[in-house]
Amino acid sequence: MPAHSGDVPTARVTLLELFLLFSQLGLSSFGGAVSAWVHRAFVERRELIGEAEFAAALGLARIIPGANVVNLAVMLGHRLRGAAGAIAAGLGLILGPTLVAIALMIAYRRWGGSPGSRALLEGAAAASVGLLIAMGLAAGAYLIGIGTKSERDDVSSNRHHAPSFWSMIFFRKPVSTFRDHALWTWRNAANTALIGAVFILIGVLHFRMVPTVLVLTPASIALAYLFPLPRD
Amino acid sequence: MPADAKTLATLALVFAPLSLVSVGGGSSIIAEMQHQAVAVHHWTTQREFTDLFAIARAAPGPGMLLATLIGFITAGWLGAVVVTLAFFLPSSLLMYVTVSIFNRWRGSTWHRAIEAGLAPIAIGLILAGAFAVLTTEGSGVLAWVLALAVTVFRMWRPSLHPLVLIGLGAAVFVVAHTFA
Repeated sequence: MPAHSGDVPTARVTLLELFLLFSQLGLSSFGGAVSAWVHRAFVERRELIGEAEFAAALGLARIIPGANVVNLAVMLGHRLRGAAGAIAAGLGLILGPTLVAIALMIAYRRWGGSPGSRALLEGAAAASVGLLIAMGLAAGAYLIGIGTKSERDDVSSNRHHAPSFWSMIFFRKPVSTFRDHALWTWRNAANTALIGAVFILIGVLHFRMVPTVLVLTPASIALAYLFPLPRD
Repeated sequence: MPADAKTLATLALVFAPLSLVSVGGGSSIIAEMQHQAVAVHHWTTQREFTDLFAIARAAPGPGMLLATLIGFITAGWLGAVVVTLAFFLPSSLLMYVTVSIFNRWRGSTWHRAIEAGLAPIAIGLILAGAFAVLTTEGSGVLAWVLALAVTVFRMWRPSLHPLVLIGLGAAVFVVAHTFA
């Protein structure tokens, strides 16, 4: 692969780790919102990918056909470990949850669904929506200029520390810090408007997603080309 | 459950094209999947399809495991494997090709512009998706309150494990259901 810009160190994760990480993410994400879990693991905890790059990966994963999270796994796997990484990440994400889903179905056919268990699942789903919104806001903060940024450079000392599953779960550190006095530029305003336009047109007014995205994405890219946001 | 070659081939032929038209995520093709599985091929009934949908949503992982479940009830484990491959492989290959071309230009002005331009669209879609789920769920005000409370708490205390929030959410709904 040709030279990287060098802003993100690659190969900080092994193939087995990628597979196990995505298995764990797939199996933890009860009630949906897998991408929020991927964000937590790759941006917040391991800092393998920056906030801005993750947001772009999300966008690409949604625009290319296919299940969003599987696409996201393929993209991150490829980014970090090439072709083998893409396979390891995708398989990890699908394999465990498939077995759980089939087990659930067999159990459901045998014992049926009680109203209580339905309430349980609905509650988990509603909480997952909250996780998704929080992820959207965290990933979007940089764009709209309220200035959070993952501190991947600060953890270079952790590079040789390969955390286990459990240490990752118990390893606590603040996600991001507010940059002091970030200026709210017109570009930030334009990004805010773009996010708002997509949200209102598709979420509230129920415009068809494909044509809406086909119009707004080129506009957004042109804007980013002509007036780039400063990179941290 | 018979797993004859003809059924397996039909499953593959139904799900592989669906993989490539599921623009914007799997939820865009659920209606077509239902049509094929219930009305065209009689793999399942309408009622069972609805149950499978609920199970796929309840299980952890990608919501589109619904496809895998249809494969399983139609042709057993082999059916599950065939459908999973047919449904996830074509779109994954497309994604892979796109990404490997895209990443070849990493560092160029265009690459940066595309990356930066995609980001606000993605965030808007995430928020729109969350809004759509909350308005169609039928769970009403409680779902809204819970989702927003989780959002605030997650941003305020990022170190708290998300499973705690999900567990609390489930508990709140069970309690509300019990006393409603």
